[in-house]
Amino acid sequence: MVSKQLKVTNSQGFHMRPATVFVNAMAKYKSDVTINFNGLTVNGKSLMNLIAACIKFGSEIEVVCSGEDEQAALDEAVSMIESGLGEE
Amino acid sequence: MILKGIAASEGIGIGTVRVVITTPKEISTAAPEDTEQEVARFNDALEGFCADTETMAAELEQAASEKEAGILRGHIQLIRDPFVLQQITDEIRKGLNAESATDRILNSVIEMFRATGDQLTMERATDIADIKTRLIMHLQGIEDVDLAKVPAGTVIVTEDLTPSMTVGITKDSVAGIVTASGGYTSHSAILSRALEIPAVLSVQNLLDSVHDGDTVIVDGTEGSVILSPTDEEIEKYTKKAEEFQEMKLRLEAFRGKPSVTGDGELREIVANIGTPADGVIAKDDDAEGVGLLRTEFLYMNRPSAPLEEEQYEAYKKVVQTFGDKPVIIRTLDIGGDKEIPYLNLPKEDNPFLGYRAIRFCLNNHDLFQAQLRALLRASAYGNLRIMIPMITRVEEVREVKKLRDRCIEDLTREGKHFNPDTPIGIMVETPAACMMADRLAAEVDFFSIGTNDLTGYTMCADRGNSQVADLYTAYDPAVLRSIKRICSCAHNAGIPVGMCGEAASDPALIPVLLAFGLDEFSVSHEKVLSTRYNMSLWTRVEADHIARHALARDSAANIKRYLKDKVKRRISR
Repeated sequence: MVSKQLKVTNSQGFHMRPATVFVNAMAKYKSDVTINFNGLTVNGKSLMNLIAACIKFGSEIEVVCSGEDEQAALDEAVSMIESGLGEE
Repeated sequence: MILKGIAASEGIGIGTVRVVITTPKEISTAAPEDTEQEVARFNDALEGFCADTETMAAELEQAASEKEAGILRGHIQLIRDPFVLQQITDEIRKGLNAESATDRILNSVIEMFRATGDQLTMERATDIADIKTRLIMHLQGIEDVDLAKVPAGTVIVTEDLTPSMTVGITKDSVAGIVTASGGYTSHSAILSRALEIPAVLSVQNLLDSVHDGDTVIVDGTEGSVILSPTDEEIEKYTKKAEEFQEMKLRLEAFRGKPSVTGDGELREIVANIGTPADGVIAKDDDAEGVGLLRTEFLYMNRPSAPLEEEQYEAYKKVVQTFGDKPVIIRTLDIGGDKEIPYLNLPKEDNPFLGYRAIRFCLNNHDLFQAQLRALLRASAYGNLRIMIPMITRVEEVREVKKLRDRCIEDLTREGKHFNPDTPIGIMVETPAACMMADRLAAEVDFFSIGTNDLTGYTMCADRGNSQVADLYTAYDPAVLRSIKRICSCAHNAGIPVGMCGEAASDPALIPVLLAFGLDEFSVSHEKVLSTRYNMSLWTRVEADHIARHALARDSAANIKRYLKDKVKRRISR
């Protein structure tokens, strides 16, 4: 299991479009992807659960990946969140 | 039998009913015999749902409705959620049928979205509800109807038109639209008017009374649907349909002509619009400018306020559409019934008497100045005028002007282009502004009477509340006296006065407004030509006579009867 704490930097947070970008990228990994936020444990491959979590701009989150390709999954997750989840 | 509803799109349509089902049948509670087969049935329905949705999205894109297409593609993304699909499959394996499992799991998602209390997330709950309905209909074998393939003379009967249904509806095949829900400004109504298809909405007990293959008459002017019409009724309405077409032709004769009274007094007919795209439509409909551009479109359905640059581009576009013709742009009018989540306005017990429009803007200088700067910069490209809503006090106007002056100083220092004499006016829509109209007129360059709110605030009645809706009428002598006073105060101060409420296009009120000296009539774009026609029916002397007799009466009902009768006689002359 690998994990990293980071801050959400895009203005919309994990809303419809950015969250879609995120789950589509995570779908290709075999590992489980989880986001810990505000005491919640959210399935990082579930668009509906991500939206329901209301993760906003500036939120502190922890991304946890566990499985055979966990490091690759975490690296991509972190770089996507840091680069703003596809927001212009 | 005659069913009544809301007259949403004018005209008469006679045709054969096609009922379009948009709600699933009752969900059975029967357990599946073979759970693995049931999982397979669910997966088949899911694939069918996604394929159909993608087809509809592609068609919408073809029809230049990118926004609706995007919403449908979002639905595919949402339902392809592996976690949620696993939950549904688990439920089926525990012995639920596919419909019940879908219903249970997606209902829990809807609950989860609603429980967040976050406006944007709560709005997404309606998307999940949409997905749930259509997915269950796929499981029940109810097909999505392709309205592009219906035969000529079809009357569509349905609960409510959805974006996915509107693809393919054309005037050539669809004679009328009847729905069980929706109001004058609903998606169904806007679409019907755009396509010029007669429509009656919000008809009670509709789906119990009308069946596939029935012959019906849709009267979109009166808001009625005639079931199983007799031969005489068909004859009568065929004649009415011809008259409607004739009237349309008669109105066409007013295209490109000046707006004048029967004896040649010149007035102005402009349009109320909600977006820059509406501006192009209004110009096509022969509006002589814009009497009201609402700017809320820039602020709604987004996570944060628009920046100055984006606003500037939008205003510039409208101003350029109209060249040297006037374009009146109203500053942000939020509050009341219009909510913008990111502004974090507190819930109020009485929003219409609360923190809205200019009251909010004067406490939020950054937001307001961004808009004023954008408006001033766009003024360099045409005949832009700034209008302030919801004014109650003279001080408010002075404060706005002070802020405007500060913006002008800044823009000058920055070397930006703008018209330093950009006119600034106010909406007169509160009883306070009406009483102070003489003093307010000395402060501003123009008035525009907002009769929708002025009527509500003067009569203290909400037109949406059926218990008091009859009090809400611009025919009330209290409202007519207010309008008269506002017009006189404007003219005494030498400034023009317009009207941007629905009263400005009411044929029976037009002679009264002409008598009051109203300079500018701002109407919805499809009413430009009919307003010009109605204006041409009266000379100034006739209008004065009618206004005097109307104001001599003391009841709204009496005034309305008198005015309606006058206009009816004049038209049949």
